Amino acid sequence: MFSAPEGTRFVLPPEARQRAQLVEKLQKLYDSWGYARVDTPMLEPYAPSHPRAEQSFKLSDRDSGVLSLRSDFTTALSAMVETYFSQEKEPMRFQYAGHLLLAIKNPDLARTREFTQLGLELIGVSNARADAELIHLARESVRAVGLTPRVELGNPGFVQVLFDLAEIPKSQQNSLADAIDRKDEATLESLLTTFSLPHDLYKVLKAVPDLYGGVDILAEAKKLTPWPEARAKLERIEAVLAEFEDDSELLIDLGMARRLSYYTGITFRAYTYDFGQPLLGGGRYDGALMPYAAGFGIGLERLLSALPQKGARTVAEVITLEDIPARALRNAGIWVERALSTDVSEVKAYAKKKGILYLLSEEGLEPLGDKTVPAEYLRLLEAQDG
Amino acid sequence: MDKLILALPKGRVLQDSVTLLTEAGLKLSLSEDDRALTHDSEDVRILVMRNADVPTYVELGVADAGIVGKDVLLESGKTIYEPVDLNISHCRMSLIRPIGATREMRRVASKFPNVTQDFLRKVGSSAEVIKLSGNVELACLTGLADAVVDIVQTGSTLKANRLEEVEVIFYSSARFVVNRAALKLKAARLRPLIATLRTLAKAS
Repeated sequence: MFSAPEGTRFVLPPEARQRAQLVEKLQKLYDSWGYARVDTPMLEPYAPSHPRAEQSFKLSDRDSGVLSLRSDFTTALSAMVETYFSQEKEPMRFQYAGHLLLAIKNPDLARTREFTQLGLELIGVSNARADAELIHLARESVRAVGLTPRVELGNPGFVQVLFDLAEIPKSQQNSLADAIDRKDEATLESLLTTFSLPHDLYKVLKAVPDLYGGVDILAEAKKLTPWPEARAKLERIEAVLAEFEDDSELLIDLGMARRLSYYTGITFRAYTYDFGQPLLGGGRYDGALMPYAAGFGIGLERLLSALPQKGARTVAEVITLEDIPARALRNAGIWVERALSTDVSEVKAYAKKKGILYLLSEEGLEPLGDKTVPAEYLRLLEAQDG
Repeated sequence: MDKLILALPKGRVLQDSVTLLTEAGLKLSLSEDDRALTHDSEDVRILVMRNADVPTYVELGVADAGIVGKDVLLESGKTIYEPVDLNISHCRMSLIRPIGATREMRRVASKFPNVTQDFLRKVGSSAEVIKLSGNVELACLTGLADAVVDIVQTGSTLKANRLEEVEVIFYSSARFVVNRAALKLKAARLRPLIATLRTLAKAS
């Protein structure tokens, strides 16, 4: 018997439709802000320098080249920009939506091997206004699907500057950043004591995992930070906040310290109440793939699991023996199934068994169960007659 | 107010955890029925589970926070916050071999295959990892493997079976772990709890 490879699955009705509707909603939002839709090849030349080189699926091409399956949109888009837009001087806005594949070990609920991602990139500009646009759109994305957003900002550049000031050797920075990012006080403390740090740097590095909360946390951080290079990173967050009329629902976490060599500026995540994982994440990665660029990505599967389960229909609402009148209902988006028999009693029996609510025949629209026909449906049919 | 949902491992650690959390000011009640999987008090719900499942519940946010050994957390590879070393359930993860064994390691058995694989990579060994479910020392005694990676608390089992700890891979103790979204969205409850637990852990 066929079984889908681990970490992949078939998308069945009604989920497939719900997914398409979500994607469309978000794409329209991004269209309205001028983010141009683009697509990139599913097959890419394998490059060991690709940020997900190790995790990507590889296959050999017929002429002995190695290909990998798309594992990241941002890298793909940067290749596109380099190839087709290298002469462009003005900022560029792009959006994407599609499948990604990762050859990860032990896929689970939180990490599947095939997933759908949507996202934005704002390329060729680096300022607080651009950062704020993305954060605003991150918030709007969550609202567009009917959830309440709580967006959290950080600036990994802050931790990086502190490392540089403290002259932490490059080889130790990863484990230190990891402890900060996991808010692992015990490990952080034991690592920090292995360096002989000036008291003020020790104090701020030890405190940084706990510098999270509302926007007032920035004032607290500034008290611990006399160094202009480090204060500049905090001031960039303030400049972004200043772009918002109401910044009270934004959250700050200065202990965000993942992928320090990639994210060079503001990073952000969006949460919603009663859901344990971020719905989207992104940030500024100037210099990593392109001179100036920032963006965010949304995992469609995660977004779906955050949404309350709605009872989407799995069978038609109306079954019809008449093709022409059915058009009026279909044009209004009502699911009308065409009967595959012309015998009325046979059609009725079938429809009742399936749970279809109404029958459209020569006699007009009639209920099959105890639900009466909505007046709106009758009006649609009448309007067509007239 | 929303209940705070805590994932706690069943067994000996459960009672220690409940004592500690009560000391930290949470009002908890374990029901008399020891088959109960959930225990509710006014503002806390406790979920009782196998320790290896705690990181999964917390990562997905089904539980807001939990208590789990650093050993289990490292094995799980999950990215969750671990703001407090609770300073209880101390043990060490060690490489264990028959006394005097010097032969190159070809097969290493463990209940912790990911931790073992990481360790072998670090020391540059190409030995194969065999995942077992319990009594892993038996693998050494029977020749199934020529080393095992396992938790050592006192070392008495090792002595009784003529085995020795060759290397300590890391020291472990129980951690208070927190879901990433919960820490931010339920900060009003979790922040003070974390602060109190830190104070208690350092005092003990």
